Amino acid sequence: MRLLQVSLRSLLLYSLLLVLISMPISYISISAILNHEVDETLQLQSEQFLKHVKSFEYLDDLERDLEVLDQLTYNIHIKPSPGSIPGQTFETLNVFDSLEQIERPYRMLSSIVKIKGMPYRLTISMSLVDNHKLLTAIGLVQAVLILALTGGLLFINRSLTRRLWKPFYKTLDKLKAYEVDKNETIDTEQTRISEFNDLNKTIGTLTGRNRKIFLQQKEFIEDAAHELQTPLAVFQAKLDLLMQQSGLSEGAAELIGRLEQTAQRMNRLNKNLLLLSKIDNRQFSQTENIELDALVGEYLTKLKPRMEENGLQLIESIRPAAINANRTLIEVLATNLLHNAILHTASGGSIFVTVEPGRLEIGNTGTPLQSPERIFDRFRKETNHERGSGLGLAIVKKICENFGYRVSYAFADGKHLFTIRFNS
Amino acid sequence: MKILIIEDERELVKSMAQYLRQESYVCEVAYTAQEANEKILLFEYDCILLDINLPDGNGLKILETLKANQKQDGVIIITARNSLDDKVTGLNLGADDYLAKPFFLPELAARVSAVIRRRHFNGSNRISFHEITVDLLGKTLHVNQKPVELTRKEYDLLVFLLANRNRVVSKNAIAEHLSGDDAELLDKFDFIYTHMKNLKRKLADAGSADYIKTVYGLGYKFTE
Repeated sequence: MRLLQVSLRSLLLYSLLLVLISMPISYISISAILNHEVDETLQLQSEQFLKHVKSFEYLDDLERDLEVLDQLTYNIHIKPSPGSIPGQTFETLNVFDSLEQIERPYRMLSSIVKIKGMPYRLTISMSLVDNHKLLTAIGLVQAVLILALTGGLLFINRSLTRRLWKPFYKTLDKLKAYEVDKNETIDTEQTRISEFNDLNKTIGTLTGRNRKIFLQQKEFIEDAAHELQTPLAVFQAKLDLLMQQSGLSEGAAELIGRLEQTAQRMNRLNKNLLLLSKIDNRQFSQTENIELDALVGEYLTKLKPRMEENGLQLIESIRPAAINANRTLIEVLATNLLHNAILHTASGGSIFVTVEPGRLEIGNTGTPLQSPERIFDRFRKETNHERGSGLGLAIVKKICENFGYRVSYAFADGKHLFTIRFNS
Repeated sequence: MKILIIEDERELVKSMAQYLRQESYVCEVAYTAQEANEKILLFEYDCILLDINLPDGNGLKILETLKANQKQDGVIIITARNSLDDKVTGLNLGADDYLAKPFFLPELAARVSAVIRRRHFNGSNRISFHEITVDLLGKTLHVNQKPVELTRKEYDLLVFLLANRNRVVSKNAIAEHLSGDDAELLDKFDFIYTHMKNLKRKLADAGSADYIKTVYGLGYKFTE
């Protein structure tokens, strides 16, 4: 649920509650005020009436006149009263209106007054506003209010979402698309809202810092590999000198030989690490037109003796294919895949090489892998092969990633197959 | 033959000099670019081993100075960077060869020997050892003035051993020299054994003495 919907929901609930509570309150208070007004008016009228009658007290047949008045008027009645205690009572009653054929509420003030010493009951009545009508009116007004409120809030909410939150969603989209190894930093635009500006600034700082750390890390790996080259060179040189010592025992000689092999492994590993980080750091950006068929053909000629020695059969299908790429990296790509195939094929197996326009396929016979999805992972070796560095295929993948080639691995019919498609 | 080693890593310099002195080369050392600049202008060297990363400057500058002063010294660039740019720039500036750290000392000796021979024996570039004569330009072998047919690998192997006379050369160094990056594919023992066996047989058939000795657990040694 969106943030604005949550706040809108609370707002709507609150206003609805207010409107609902206000209905009985307004009804009660309005009718109370109206009754009070009516009572005051009745009081006033009755006083006026008495004052008026008093000024006619000199008439002898006032009694008769009052009788006539009682007969003629609709809302003033005056009749001789048997009781003589003066007092006033207000009451509300429903009277049937013969004209409109409905019952109407009336407010009535009855008072015992003395006219010419005689007690009279003076009744003045006044039509009240119909309760039903009042309720309906209030209900109607409140309903309109609710509708206007809801509609208005929804409308404002929608336009707010669209307009006000636009920079927020923009930033969000950029964050979603952000990759620390590809993008520089996140560019955000200035908005009127200080929270968004704050957010954008924080994101900018955060991604900037991450980027810096990432770059430092990358640089560190390259520097570390560089720095290792010199001690490795010293180590190798000392071994070469150690071999020259006269009178080495056979045991010592063998130890030196093993040491040298280990040094070779370290060298190769370090070289591959360096290569990996150099590819990462985009140090191979120069491209040229390369005849892939010629390049692969040359390697195969070089490697054929190796394959023959290892008892491997080469099955090649090479057609002219030109690509625009970095020569060094394509050489590394081809070498690594071919080395991988040769290293992991048992004697009597076959190596398959196919070159077609935009495509390079290198395969070899073998048994299925336990976890083929991890084949391109660094240092992921299923066979404990002493000669592979464990980085060859990771380098292949890195090259493909960096240049938009598609690399895939599949195992079918007892055959491992790597396919690289150069045109994306 | 005089060699100047320009390199700031003292232990490496010591080893390089010790190894090359056995070849009866005279080795001088410069640990900084400043020292190097003084030496190259004062003396002539047959070969300069030049590290590109020096504490007080880029080695390529030294190469430029050398060329600007029309010095004919042979130059082998040595670098830890192993970067193509350095290699291309270095060779364009007139360096004779390029070697990436880490390297085998026998490989260094072979490169130094090749550079010196190229510089000094124009036209008749030969290595002779008793009855054996190798013509480096024609890439041919004569034993007792009679030609002996060698494969490319056997020839490379012989030249490599000759450049490292009287020193033990490991199988790893030989494998790396003969097949470069593809060395990781080799079963070094089989691979080198086959070529060595063929070379020794061809030399023996042509009437040469057996100069190539096997050093148990390590490799081979070309010696009297």
